[in-house]
Amino acid sequence: MKQLRIDNITKQFGGLTAVKDFSLELNNGEIIALIGPNGAGKTTAFNMVTGVYRPTKGKIYFKDTDITGLRPDQITRLGIARTFQNIRLFKDLSVLDNVLIANHLHIKSNFIEATFRLPRYWKEDRQMREKSLSLIEKVGLIDLRNEKASSLPYGMQRRLEIARALATNPEVLLLDEPAAGMNPKETENLTEFIKQIRDEYNLSIFMIEHHMEVVMGISERIYVLDYGVIIAEGSPYEIQNNPRVIEAYLGVSEDA
Amino acid sequence: MKKRNIILTLVAVLLALLFLWFAKENFDAYKVRILNLCAIYTILGLSMNLINGFTGQFALGHAGFMAIGAYTTALLTMPVAVKQQNFFLAPIVEPLKDLTVPFFPALLLGGIFAAVVGFLIGAPALRLKGDYLAIATLGFSEIIRIVITNAQRVTNGALGLKGIPNTTNLWWSYGTAVVTAVFIILLINSSYGRAFKAIREDEIAAESMGISLFKHKVMAFTIGAFFAGVGGGLLGNLLGTIDPLMFRFFLTFNILLIIVLGGMGSITGTIISAFIVTIGLEWLRFLDQSINLGFVVIPGISGLRMVVFSVLLMIVVLFFRHGIMGTNEFSWDKLINRLNKRPLVKGGTK
Repeated sequence: MKQLRIDNITKQFGGLTAVKDFSLELNNGEIIALIGPNGAGKTTAFNMVTGVYRPTKGKIYFKDTDITGLRPDQITRLGIARTFQNIRLFKDLSVLDNVLIANHLHIKSNFIEATFRLPRYWKEDRQMREKSLSLIEKVGLIDLRNEKASSLPYGMQRRLEIARALATNPEVLLLDEPAAGMNPKETENLTEFIKQIRDEYNLSIFMIEHHMEVVMGISERIYVLDYGVIIAEGSPYEIQNNPRVIEAYLGVSEDA
Repeated sequence: MKKRNIILTLVAVLLALLFLWFAKENFDAYKVRILNLCAIYTILGLSMNLINGFTGQFALGHAGFMAIGAYTTALLTMPVAVKQQNFFLAPIVEPLKDLTVPFFPALLLGGIFAAVVGFLIGAPALRLKGDYLAIATLGFSEIIRIVITNAQRVTNGALGLKGIPNTTNLWWSYGTAVVTAVFIILLINSSYGRAFKAIREDEIAAESMGISLFKHKVMAFTIGAFFAGVGGGLLGNLLGTIDPLMFRFFLTFNILLIIVLGGMGSITGTIISAFIVTIGLEWLRFLDQSINLGFVVIPGISGLRMVVFSVLLMIVVLFFRHGIMGTNEFSWDKLINRLNKRPLVKGGTK
């Protein structure tokens, strides 16, 4: 079954076309990657899927539901969670609070029940805490749960962002450059970690990434975007040998 | 250690109650009024801090909500005869004329009415951010005041209301302040409070975590407006007279001063600074009179205390940007550690 189907979306900022006729399909349980040179429009495509931008043209479907133009919080509620290219944690709040906040969207108690700690909220709050702690344990931050999010080292902040996204109970996870700024060891761990969470939480993962070890290592299919247009699509092997991709990344020699 | 803190808290509460009882019996009316004002400003500061400090929405509409609360409570508690005396230019509208309810339901209705108006104002205004939101809410607050000035048959217009029963005493004001503080502490430590703080920290991330910005902003704003209305109601029935000019921007500014001084996002900071600002504004009154320094006599310049207060505010903004408490809360452990002058962490071990 298709978890996510992007149908010919275009985004124009005034006269500039950032993404043009972009189409993509994400199957259940798949890991796919979107690559491309800087400024190719990858994050713009992401922002359209998550509702930050409304596509100028085209439709986006999540399991046959049209989600084009919904607000980001509505999209997250349906089951699409994301991380950010430049980490966006709640910096002054603790690690635990960061993850707890991501549980809030499923709360059933109203603010009166929550304020007076009535039984339903009491139960929900306990469940939230248990779930958050187990997610924090999964990403290896359990000893740091009471630390401020901004005090964590970079690699851990990335992991915390993933834990926070998982706390919204997503079916589709969008990772915007999860390995950015990581050293080779951290990158290797992350690759394993992404596979592991995919299997454990039955996720379909759609990521933007520059680290080719990560992209080639775990993605089943790769889309290549250049100047807002998809120039290639296929398995890691096909992409590695595609002349257009090499051209986009390395340029073309004058006398060729 | 936990047990010690509970005992210390109980002792502090007991001392506070004893002090209130002592003050009620022995202090003169002027001092009692200042104490009452401290509690009312605490309520107002806490409610504004919920919107500005915890949810991060820079709204400046508090005076308007206070006016609604004050007028509602006053009109509902004033005896029929007093109402007739007040409305000599134009008669009061029919249902209000003979309507008198006890203080508590009147106060609650004042809060609810302020909350309803808060909701109606917040729903469109909270789509704006930062300075634009401040200007829009400020404008709405002035609109409320002008509507009150012109609704002659409901509010007695610019003449204001006189002879409001002085029901507010120390028990009412401090009781309400405690209820407000407890409610807001419980709220901000609940899941909803975490959502408010998430919006303050990063709106884009909060929205991506499934938090509806609109719903939560309007919620915080409406709850804040409710307590502002209750605070206004207490104020009206403390002073005995209210008129539209009381509820100018200046009043909002005073409350803003309290939360900036106390720390945006700190409950205990707000409480401490509500007392400092209220007592400070009264104590600095000597600056308005002529001062004899022995060698030179400064003639009384009215308004000098406000100049001094503004300077104080500037010093706070320049050197203590996070106010007295920042986003931290008071705790016995910190206080005792400070008193002992013993650092918490010694030689790298806890």
